[in-house]
Amino acid sequence: MATADPRLSKATEPFDIVATYNDLLRSDPDLTMPIAAIEALVLLLTHSPSSTISETLDLLEKSTTHLKKSIPNPIGLSAGTDLFQRYLITTLQRPGQLGPAGDFNAIRAHLLSNSRLFIRRAKESRDKIATFGRGFVRDGSTVLTNGGSRVVASLLQRAADEKGGPSAVRFNVIYVLSPPKRNVENTTAEPEGLETVRALRAKGVPVATIPESAVAYSLGKADVVIVGAEGVVENGGIVSRMGTYQIGLLAKAMGKPFYVVAESHKFVRVYPLGQYDLPIEQHVIDFKTQEDVDTAKQQQPANASSTPLNDSEFHPDAVDFTPPHLISALITDSGVLTPSAVSEELIKIWF
Amino acid sequence: MSPPSAPLTPGLASFLKSLKTNPIDTSIDNLISLLKRRQIRHSRSCATATAYLLRSVVSACRTSDASKLIERVQSVGKRLIAAQPREMVVGNIVRRVLGLIRDEAEDDRDGEFNLSEAGSESQPQTPRASDDPSDSLYGRHDGSALKPLSSLAAHPISMFSLLSHPEPEHSLPGTPGSASPSGRSPGHTQNNDIRAEVLDGINEIIDELGQVDDQISAYALDHIHSNEIILTHTSSTTVQKFLLKAAAKRKFTVIHAESYPNNHEATHATVSGTATNDDELLSTESFQKPLIAHGITVILIPDSAVFALMSRVNKVILGTHSVLANGGLVAAAGTRVIARAAKVHQTPVVVVSGVYKLSPVYPFDFDSLIEYGDSSKVIGFEDGDLVEQIDVQNPLYDYVPAELVDLYITNLGGHAPSYLYRIVSDHYRKEDISF
Repeated sequence: MATADPRLSKATEPFDIVATYNDLLRSDPDLTMPIAAIEALVLLLTHSPSSTISETLDLLEKSTTHLKKSIPNPIGLSAGTDLFQRYLITTLQRPGQLGPAGDFNAIRAHLLSNSRLFIRRAKESRDKIATFGRGFVRDGSTVLTNGGSRVVASLLQRAADEKGGPSAVRFNVIYVLSPPKRNVENTTAEPEGLETVRALRAKGVPVATIPESAVAYSLGKADVVIVGAEGVVENGGIVSRMGTYQIGLLAKAMGKPFYVVAESHKFVRVYPLGQYDLPIEQHVIDFKTQEDVDTAKQQQPANASSTPLNDSEFHPDAVDFTPPHLISALITDSGVLTPSAVSEELIKIWF
Repeated sequence: MSPPSAPLTPGLASFLKSLKTNPIDTSIDNLISLLKRRQIRHSRSCATATAYLLRSVVSACRTSDASKLIERVQSVGKRLIAAQPREMVVGNIVRRVLGLIRDEAEDDRDGEFNLSEAGSESQPQTPRASDDPSDSLYGRHDGSALKPLSSLAAHPISMFSLLSHPEPEHSLPGTPGSASPSGRSPGHTQNNDIRAEVLDGINEIIDELGQVDDQISAYALDHIHSNEIILTHTSSTTVQKFLLKAAAKRKFTVIHAESYPNNHEATHATVSGTATNDDELLSTESFQKPLIAHGITVILIPDSAVFALMSRVNKVILGTHSVLANGGLVAAAGTRVIARAAKVHQTPVVVVSGVYKLSPVYPFDFDSLIEYGDSSKVIGFEDGDLVEQIDVQNPLYDYVPAELVDLYITNLGGHAPSYLYRIVSDHYRKEDISF
């Protein structure tokens, strides 16, 4: 509870869930969005004196909605908030000591005192996935991957490690790097995933880095595609960084297996029917005439000189949706699942 | 290690006969050598032999401790699997037996747990008054407060495992409270029952192995309609029974690919009805009348003609060697060509298979699943000159990916390939998948 203490001291201020969530994400680069959301909710409960069930649920509901509204892409975090809420409700409904007749304080105490444990478990689940997924990286194979997924990184590093099994796997990696997140204050940022590339090279794994435009060209040399995901949706598809969908399509066209590595707390109850059906606003496709460009320039003349690339032409945090039929299997901490198994997992906690 | 009482041709029948007389270790070695020499080779023969052997192992294992029983079965299972890793049904049966033992052991422990819970319920729950959350949690650590959470965590897969209580298994052995002395002694008498109940369970598996084809054939009329043209492959008993069942009510045409060179003799015999019961199991079953005796037109074709005829075929019905967790299957060589041709013509592919063939193994490496057989079946040794010049390979099996299969029919009913993971998780315990 080390991080919570300083915040406890200034308890007089109203608790800001959005700031807490962002702080948590920034403070620990290993933290995923759902876990940060759960953490933020736990901290919220620490701050609120509510002692009745409905009061707490109401508070959670309000804060969750507020949090979702304030974050541009709430798909990942809503997996965490949903899981938290369902856990609370299910435990309260179950007969037993913590059930309806039982002690609400006991649950509250359990959640408040174990927040560190949740984070640890979430990180441990990556190890678990790495163990399951190790079999997918074969000796002499070439793996194509993209993005900055920490789970994929830990899986590949585990495979390269002597410790992971009887012997280290000798494999090559083709790493698809997308242009770095360039914004005004940080112009020298490096592409996401470069850190993983360095770590793998340090372990003696030959890594080739290619731009997104070279995926189709390089896929012929790859045996398997392994990607991470921001959220796994109800039909078994994934919401992941922009560019994953096209890799999935190309892998399907070339008959290469396409595996998704994700922790089961990323399963989220969203059922997108297509790319443009995601519950988020992203202006990736933005039609403009010269007139529109000129008016936009006039409106912000100060910024115009900073970069020739218009902001709207580049979306570092954009995501796309990879439909389930492109996915061979999902490697999760509850085992290797087919895409259709995801809905069952979700049904188990919702109904 | 061949037993003195064994008949001339070692196989399933001789093994089952010798099982009654031989000591258990001799029988284990016997089955291992049979598997290694491929003297037992059909999926069901292997499954039956394994089930009977494990029944003897369990009944010979004079222990009342479930964990020792599990250990024993595991060690025998490991040796059997090592003897023939590609015969996945052996592992499946071992896993199911292990699952049986675990189920029984857990039922037992649950009984114990209820006792201890009843005991601790009588204690006043003082920790509730305590303000410090960690204190009250630890106060309950040995009590019934953990029950709902631990039962939640006992679910094989749950997303809640992230948020659930720490170390739920703590509560299982750690119930040294008031009730444990009284809970122990009934536990011991129940432990003796474990073995009897496990033996019952194994008998059920053996029964299932005997009935599986009939159960599958019960679905035949739902899938074979009048005047359809059905294409099949190899002399699979399951497929033949399936077709025979439909033949009793309906008229249809069967195109039978001969599956040269490994299975063509058996296939010819099946088609013409002159099967000489080379498969030991067949002799006990009333499987005499071939399809032609029921007035069904059967057309025997070479494997190379499959694609040419596929455009006329209404449905492809295939037998299999084993089915994998991702919905793919390992079947006799030539199956993939048929499935691929069916895909090109949009012809539905139906695979009939007993649940015992369904393996929790995930095919990471397809090549390692394929077994290679006697190359002299392709080119005889009389062509000695040629044999020296070329490399002859005779793969016995094909891996067929899940997307080429439309439907699986097992003794539980019809399933989409993407649903098989569910049947796997119903039949095998998670902890037994890699033992």
